[in-house]
Amino acid sequence: MTGPLVFEQIPLGARAAPPLSLELPAHATVAILGDENSGVGTLGGYALGLEQPPAGRVRVFGTVIVDLPERDRLAFRRQVGYLPAGDGLLQNLSLRDNVALPLRFGSDASPREIEGRVTVMLTAVRVGAVARLRPSQVNEEERRRAALARAIAFDPSLLILEQPFDGLTGRTASELLEFARGGETAEGARRTVLITGQDLPAVIHRRIERVYRLTRAGTLELEPA
Amino acid sequence: MTDPLSRLGGSTARRLSRLGALARFGFGALRAATALTAAGRAVALRVAINQIRFTAVHAVGLVVFLSGILSFLVISQAVRELGRYGATDFIGTLIVIAIVRELGPLITALTVAGRSGTAIAAELATNKVLGEVRALEAMGIDPRQYLVLPRFVGGLVSVFILLVLFDVVAVSAGFAAAGFNGMSGERYTEIVLRSLAFKDVLLTVGKALTFGAIVGIVPSYFGLAVRGAPTEIPVAASRATVASIVGIFLCSALFVVIG
Repeated sequence: MTGPLVFEQIPLGARAAPPLSLELPAHATVAILGDENSGVGTLGGYALGLEQPPAGRVRVFGTVIVDLPERDRLAFRRQVGYLPAGDGLLQNLSLRDNVALPLRFGSDASPREIEGRVTVMLTAVRVGAVARLRPSQVNEEERRRAALARAIAFDPSLLILEQPFDGLTGRTASELLEFARGGETAEGARRTVLITGQDLPAVIHRRIERVYRLTRAGTLELEPA
Repeated sequence: MTDPLSRLGGSTARRLSRLGALARFGFGALRAATALTAAGRAVALRVAINQIRFTAVHAVGLVVFLSGILSFLVISQAVRELGRYGATDFIGTLIVIAIVRELGPLITALTVAGRSGTAIAAELATNKVLGEVRALEAMGIDPRQYLVLPRFVGGLVSVFILLVLFDVVAVSAGFAAAGFNGMSGERYTEIVLRSLAFKDVLLTVGKALTFGAIVGIVPSYFGLAVRGAPTEIPVAASRATVASIVGIFLCSALFVVIG
């Protein structure tokens, strides 16, 4: 298995359910959907090594993150973009500072370069006008846009999005999906994207290469395109 | 059914285990400091400066008020009572030992623990409940470097600054109180300077650093120990304040033994 993200024998949800094994092909956008008790919400945390699965392992670019020493684990995560459910923006920082934080903390770029990059990203996700406001002062859509900009701050080739489109209009969801994919290349999207959640807007469903659903029995079924 | 002795043992073991976890947490934060990159150091420094603004600068008025009133009352009473027995020389001992060395650090640390320790614990607990700590880890940022270390440094610097301020105001208010009660300024200054030894300065600095570490680390520990329910936030804030106060009093007693 050589995909950028590989789940190997990960137990999810129902006890009698077969463990999840899945490889995400590079340059593809894949969604794994399931209800709240299906365990689909834990996949992002397992992939980033934020939690350890009870069995099996997750390989990201061939590396099992939870096996790395703590310092290396933190550094490795910068290769993966992550938009957690509920956005995870820091409430005491402006949207601009939220997007700049990972770059200021984890890159060697000069402050001027960082500010330039942040301005470009905020403009691209259309929150430039409210960038100086804090998350509590803007609406859910703007928070989600800013959180996505933060997730791709390091321009990762793998992006994990948890419930990214909940509560958004189809048009906004489409915009965010395009931004997440990072444009098109000959092989497909520039980024490999994993989306987890309970459901997808129909307009998004049509634009994703593969949509899997975890059934109540715990099996993974590929939904028809 | 367990007997009282076993219950007592169980509760002591729990407390010791929590103390051990707290110590590990503190050392973990210090160890995280060594792994900071230059960029991370700049961000953490900015957060620490903000902490000092909230913890020290915003508390200046309160500390000046408490110190001034305390010193004025103690020295006024002392000049009157000791004056009756011709023992006004002891005023120096009183201001140096009772106020500068003992009450100053204690009241300053308790003020910071009550005012900022509670805020730190509630803020970090909220960060945890809202998933912000998890998001930091996902971005490759060590929460100990971004959240704990700046608060630790902020606590150290703030308590030190406020303690120096407390002592300066206390000695000045004592000067005013002495004058108000008929003692000359020269005599007061001479008595205070005669009573002040290098050991007192050393002990006061030692206390400032120890208490500063307590009000930086203990609330951070309790704030980040919550698991995710919003109802845990006030509990964490309350526990952090109580634990900080107990820690400050215990260390204060320890300093008396050492000194």
